Amino acid sequence: MRQVRRLAAVSVEASRLRLHVGQKATDAMALVPELATADVEPEADAAALTALVDWCVRFSPAVAADAPDGLFLDITGVAHLWGGEAEMLADFQGRLAQNALPFRAAIADTPGAAWALAHFGRDGTIAPPGGQGDLLKPMPPAALRLEPEAAAQIERLGLRRVGQLMEIPRAPLGRRFGARTLERLDQALGRSAEALRYRRPPTPWVDRLAFFEPISAPEDMARVTQDAAAKLCARLEAGGHGARRFEIAFHRVDGKTLPLTIGLSLAGRDARRIARLFQPKLETVDPGFGIESVTICAYAVEAVSGRQARIETGPEAAVEDGLAPLVDRLVNRLGSERVWRAAPVETHVPEQAVGRQPALGAPLSEARPWDRETPRPVRLFRRPEPLEQVFALLPDDPPRQFRWRGRVHQVRRAEGPERIGEEWWRREIGDISITHVRDYYRVEDQDGGRFWLFRAGLYGDPDAPAKWWLHGLFA
Amino acid sequence: MSDFRAKRIAALVAKVAAIESGGRADAGVLSFGDAALDGKLAGGGLPLGRWHEITGAGLEAETSAAPAAYAALMAAPLALRGEAVWVLRRDDLWAPGLAGLGFPVERLIQVCVRDETEALAVMEDALATVGISAVFGEVEAVDLTAGRRLQLACEKRGATGFVIKRRPFGGVGRKEAAGSIAATRWRVVSAPSEPPAGEFGLGNPRFSVALERSRGGRSGAWILEADQAYSWEAGDVAHPLRLVADLGDRELAPAQSPAVRRAA
Repeated sequence: MRQVRRLAAVSVEASRLRLHVGQKATDAMALVPELATADVEPEADAAALTALVDWCVRFSPAVAADAPDGLFLDITGVAHLWGGEAEMLADFQGRLAQNALPFRAAIADTPGAAWALAHFGRDGTIAPPGGQGDLLKPMPPAALRLEPEAAAQIERLGLRRVGQLMEIPRAPLGRRFGARTLERLDQALGRSAEALRYRRPPTPWVDRLAFFEPISAPEDMARVTQDAAAKLCARLEAGGHGARRFEIAFHRVDGKTLPLTIGLSLAGRDARRIARLFQPKLETVDPGFGIESVTICAYAVEAVSGRQARIETGPEAAVEDGLAPLVDRLVNRLGSERVWRAAPVETHVPEQAVGRQPALGAPLSEARPWDRETPRPVRLFRRPEPLEQVFALLPDDPPRQFRWRGRVHQVRRAEGPERIGEEWWRREIGDISITHVRDYYRVEDQDGGRFWLFRAGLYGDPDAPAKWWLHGLFA
Repeated sequence: MSDFRAKRIAALVAKVAAIESGGRADAGVLSFGDAALDGKLAGGGLPLGRWHEITGAGLEAETSAAPAAYAALMAAPLALRGEAVWVLRRDDLWAPGLAGLGFPVERLIQVCVRDETEALAVMEDALATVGISAVFGEVEAVDLTAGRRLQLACEKRGATGFVIKRRPFGGVGRKEAAGSIAATRWRVVSAPSEPPAGEFGLGNPRFSVALERSRGGRSGAWILEADQAYSWEAGDVAHPLRLVADLGDRELAPAQSPAVRRAA
């Protein structure tokens, strides 16, 4: 493998000087001594393509990147928003040109035909429905997105146009040039479907708002958030649906897209509530030179039966005052792990006995509830705290005195021990030891403070002397 | 003559109460079921639709086990009427312990917040929510503004707030705010328990409770016992706290017929 520097891409001006992709850099320098080159950065190119794909969501939610330098936009059913395919293409071209991006675009029935027209046809071609075959005929075979070797072999055999390939019977064509060639031809002509890898799963629950003038004032952004949500929610309501997750994307004039996401604990479609959840996050959006459009998507859409009625409980009670909106506000502000309901877990190990369930919508726990008759502390320390100067009269007696946080406690009354052992059925049998036990005592000191202490390990084990810990506090 | 004065004073007290409530519907009171306690509280019970302050003493100001348990016991009858929210800064509240005291844990939403301001904001938000009857919050201090905001939130739906004063671990005690608009302020510490005669071990949880401040009422100090704690009956009685006689052999007062009284 020889180390040769080659041209990976050339500008329009360079191509006029007969420089081409794949040319050796030294040859190019010899032809054009004042040539300016820069190292190729595939990662940066990919990132730029991703940004462009994100930007294109303003035209249609179904965008597929075509690495390294193209993208497919599925405009089925959206062109009428611009007044037609020609108007949409003009708008698209105009916006890309404003960003000083050199590009070629074409519209056709199939991704394959559009690709061929964009790469080899006239820029801005719009193929009439079903008319891509005629447009493809005069193009070179490379327009079919073939492997370079296959395209070169086809050309070497004198087949210089796609039209000639189309005339060859299918079976010999497939035998001669491979099934891949046949497949690409079928895809371009719409005889077989092509699966594109869209940027995100397209959801039919998407709506957009575009503005005549870019907006940037915070109150305007709050307003359009509500308007966009209302637009989408009206559709959700008409279909009897609600969604659990909403994503709003602000498209800036400079082509950047800033998304925000919120979640609901119960599927909903109340625009005011949704807008209110977006409200605190809006200040994180930097409008830059202005925002020219917003798109809003609903995910996790499910059927919601019945209309959301206003709950009339007070003089001005509204839906926003209910429990579900409160939980949503808290979860969106603090994070879902900070809002929970305690649910029993069937285990003997105290620190694992409490499971956390979402505050709303969790299924009823099937675990046995906690035994109310065994006293359990109100505060349980996440890490048991070590005790010092513990005196116990007999090995299995509760301590008579202990020191915790610098204070000596004289034990007046005590209960115990309650032995809690390792749950041997949860681990490998070889790791289990009978000395891994905790003997819990409930003790009361001279002032009435009640503590939950335990001794880890057994007395008489020379390797691991028993240690005392404080695990929790009773009322 | 004296009868006339008493009537006049009663009328004035009613007038002042009407001005204080600002025309909103009275949320009623929660009776302790014991005349000794109820008599010290305005309206004959723990006023609902207000917020109450519960503090500990000594180490309890940091660990806050007895104040939290006392607040849960006091509010247990209330929590049966709706949902409850407990706002924490350290998530060391342990649901099995609350369940043992008779608190309906399945109706409790726990929220762990990051700082003091957030705790107060969440409390306020929860208090103004339909369907929530009791909100507990573990905060260090409530200044006058925050207290007023809590009060307004309480008045919105008649929910009752319980502010449990708790200092962060290792923190220095802040100076108490000069004034507070809490309806009541309780200072709660654990009291030595008394097992039934002839039994070993610990008795039912007892609290030494001081009512330091009571709006429209008087202060007082008692020893209370949660006599149904750690039994399956916990939570089934009208009020889980019983007064322990101050003098003599500290006998448990007989259960009276406690009832939640709605103010007319």
